[in-house]
Amino acid sequence: MSVQATNEAGALSGAEGDSGAMERFSYDDKIVRMFVGATILWGVVAMLVGLIVALQLAVPQLLNKSGFGWLTLIVNTEWISFGRLRPLHTNAAIFAFAGNAIFAAIYYSTQRLCKARMFSDILGRLHFWGWQAIIVSAALTLPLGITQSKEYAELEWPIDLAIAVVWVGFFGVNFFGTLVKRRERHMYVALWFYIATIVTVAMLHVFNNLTLPMVIAGAINGQSVTGADIAKSWPVYAGVQDAFMQWWYGHNAVAFFLTTPFLGLMYYFLPKAAEKPVYSYRLSIVHFWSLVFIYIWAGPHHLHYTALPAWASTLGMLFSLMLWMPSWGGMINGLLTLRGAWNKVASDPILKFFVVGITFYGMSTFEGPMLSIKSINALTHYTDWTIAHVHGGALGWNGFMTFGMLYWLAPRLFQTPLWSRKMMAAHFWLGTIGIVLYVLSIYAAGLTQGLMWRAFDESGRLAYPDFVETVTALVPMYWVRVVGGTLYLVGMLMCGLNIGMTWARRPKTYDVPVYEAPALSKVYVDPPRPGSRLEANVGLGHKADTFIQGWWHRVWERRPMKFTVWVFIAVAVASLFEIIPTFLIRSNVPTIESVKPYTPLELAGRDIYIAEGCYNCHSQMIRPIWAETKRYGEYSKPGEFVYDHPFQWGSRRIGPDLARVGGKQSHDWQVRHLEDPRQLIPQSLMPAYPHLLKQDLDFASIQARVDAMAMLGVPYAEAVRQGGAERLARAQAERIASELEAQGGYPGLAGKKAIAMVAYLQRLGTDIHAPVGVEEESATADASSSGETPAKEEKR
Amino acid sequence: MNSTQNHGAHSPSGQASLMEHEYDGIREYDNPTPGWWHALFLASVFFSICYTAWYHVSPLSSSIWDKWRASEVEEFARIFGEFGDLEPDTPTLIKMMNDERMMAVAQGIFQGNCAACHAKDGGGINGVNLTDDHYKTVKSLPDIFNVITRGAANGAMPAWENMISKNERVILASYVASLRGTKPGAARPAEGEVIPAWPIE
Repeated sequence: MSVQATNEAGALSGAEGDSGAMERFSYDDKIVRMFVGATILWGVVAMLVGLIVALQLAVPQLLNKSGFGWLTLIVNTEWISFGRLRPLHTNAAIFAFAGNAIFAAIYYSTQRLCKARMFSDILGRLHFWGWQAIIVSAALTLPLGITQSKEYAELEWPIDLAIAVVWVGFFGVNFFGTLVKRRERHMYVALWFYIATIVTVAMLHVFNNLTLPMVIAGAINGQSVTGADIAKSWPVYAGVQDAFMQWWYGHNAVAFFLTTPFLGLMYYFLPKAAEKPVYSYRLSIVHFWSLVFIYIWAGPHHLHYTALPAWASTLGMLFSLMLWMPSWGGMINGLLTLRGAWNKVASDPILKFFVVGITFYGMSTFEGPMLSIKSINALTHYTDWTIAHVHGGALGWNGFMTFGMLYWLAPRLFQTPLWSRKMMAAHFWLGTIGIVLYVLSIYAAGLTQGLMWRAFDESGRLAYPDFVETVTALVPMYWVRVVGGTLYLVGMLMCGLNIGMTWARRPKTYDVPVYEAPALSKVYVDPPRPGSRLEANVGLGHKADTFIQGWWHRVWERRPMKFTVWVFIAVAVASLFEIIPTFLIRSNVPTIESVKPYTPLELAGRDIYIAEGCYNCHSQMIRPIWAETKRYGEYSKPGEFVYDHPFQWGSRRIGPDLARVGGKQSHDWQVRHLEDPRQLIPQSLMPAYPHLLKQDLDFASIQARVDAMAMLGVPYAEAVRQGGAERLARAQAERIASELEAQGGYPGLAGKKAIAMVAYLQRLGTDIHAPVGVEEESATADASSSGETPAKEEKR
Repeated sequence: MNSTQNHGAHSPSGQASLMEHEYDGIREYDNPTPGWWHALFLASVFFSICYTAWYHVSPLSSSIWDKWRASEVEEFARIFGEFGDLEPDTPTLIKMMNDERMMAVAQGIFQGNCAACHAKDGGGINGVNLTDDHYKTVKSLPDIFNVITRGAANGAMPAWENMISKNERVILASYVASLRGTKPGAARPAEGEVIPAWPIE
């Protein structure tokens, strides 16, 4: 073991009191090696599942009973339909691949930036194994259809609880404990970004996942809940509010899980790899605080022109525009750090990964504000453009920053040179070409579909009235995506091989250097406040000039808890400004008298719709855009969703909108379409659901579902709540089954899941025209026209 | 940042001076934030204030709902302007059947709403064949309108009253009538009884 002295800074700007005793310590790099291994493993899994879902769109017969039936000998196709695999892909890419990567980055850099070993090796192990267990449980539950149906928050309540414990209790305590026992007086900018990540992700996770678990409702109501229903829950929010909370979460998961920790990663690993000082300390302060404060407002831009109130939409758009420069602050600081080092970039693949990663960050954070502009969003929302946008970010920014970090870390962690520099260089080029093929083809697909949806011909009719035409047009581009994705995956495999071979050539025992540094003394005297540089004799001017010199920030940097409190205030205040009005202003959601709760059978069908992941391809939200109402019918009103726990508005139309699908086809059509869509629409990409025609509906669990909804405030009549739900459900199922038979459909389906699904689908969007009762007819007229109150009223 | 020698001072090489602090070997320059960065940031704030005033306060802007209603009026005038409100009587249905432009519009409605069951060419999938001389519920032209409006065959044919406007249902009925006698690719077998040919006028 060797003893090394840490680099002492030149002259300290402040004065330490009694210098603490010299302490000797070493770093825990084993935990970093563990996270590095997990990053690679889950990266391969996430990208492989991504490739499978991409293939499912290019070859719809793949993994479908109607196509390659022999595959069903290996796996049950209902587990691997697009609607169940797509959340597995997104969760694996975000929380498993990117998640383990940021943990590796944080555990490696925090120890060195604090001159301290992590607070607790045991907490680190609990964090690691806890997180991997969460990932494995996600990989098991999502294919089984156990899902909350909120994008990137699909995992059900038991896993959500585990995430909260691991994130706050293990990771958070370990990180902040390390800050407390640090031997470096001030915190470097990377640590600020880690703080923002930990605090904000905890807040987002908790408040978006407030649900009523079926077992708790069952326990209160004296019902037994068994099987997969033990994991089932429904959000406490409904409709507009649920949508708002989801996208407050969803957008900021991008901000505080995929942006801030990666900026922290960049601030540590880029100057290390380039061996250059960071371009501007001042810029890092300004862009950190503006980013943290502004990002949190931008969520509503995911819901432009939906039933969300217009004021929220406007806030979402404007704060997204204001976010452009704070985001670019990070890009500028990254790219300008490389000034004078470009010759190194040309020869070092690690720096190449960083440069391309940061460039994609810059492009994505320009594109994000652009897509948030309402009129542009009207074209791009629900199309593949969004998919291209997130993959520019995920493959370019998150992926390439991770790869750069992994290659820089490998020789240091495994204490032997990287196995193959050539393979690293090849990975860079394969990955870059892969991203370019992916995003260009999917931009083209998004634009094509968006323009086809809104195209009218000269006679005033939709140019492509048949939805499937707008899908078939994309298939060639889906093939290019498959090629691009394959290249990227091959690069990932090469990375795994390269780092695996490096690991294989590690020394028998790792050298663990011991460092020496003084403990922080209790007393610290900040440097004197700077004077004003102005010659004006206005006191305020002098004060302002002193303030903008930023001495106070330097004081914050040595006070982690104060810093953390200010970060929390920034994100919480911004959140409350939007959340409070969304929940409290009644006029945001005008009620519609004819909108009634789902019947017990329809409710059971709704839960099947959720379990199958239908929301991944079908929206239930028609915007007040002429081409859209021509295609799908009357635009959706906020009052139509007041009993939807959770909301099912969706974010992508791989298939058509279903907000008003009720009554548009016969029961027979719906059943045959579920059995195999290609019986009716030969070019359809939709998976087949033959199991819904075979599996029995669990009528016994319906009462518990209804009672749980009633606990959440859905007004079910006394008779339904007091044990009538199952009887009502059976009666409705019998009725639909006999109608189905009379239409020439399959006999004997009354007890099957398909009937509940048909009941739900046939109900969608029909309440708005439902009669309310003769004496209430005038009230109905008022209510159904409530979506047409004077325009200015609605705009606010 | 704290001392005058750091502020705006440049070393002889033209590089800004380094901050005094250092973390694990990482140093930071005391470069100012770029001017264009400030300018664009302030511009985005200024735009936001102006936009809010224009969109939410001033009477100059129109909402998406205003635009939707304007489109509704404009489209009705453009498509049905010369006819006004249509009634589903035999003379109107025949007149529409002979109007090429109206049949083009109706074809679009048919493709979007009816083709899923009746096939694009009307030959029928799990909805009846609309091209032959056999009809299950229809005896006259207005009956087609009635079936579209209220549905038929135990809900196998859904009711479209709330989903398609009356004028559109009238021209759609004419379009369906016009399919009679055409030759579809793959036709469903005939169902119901043969009824007399449509009247000429």
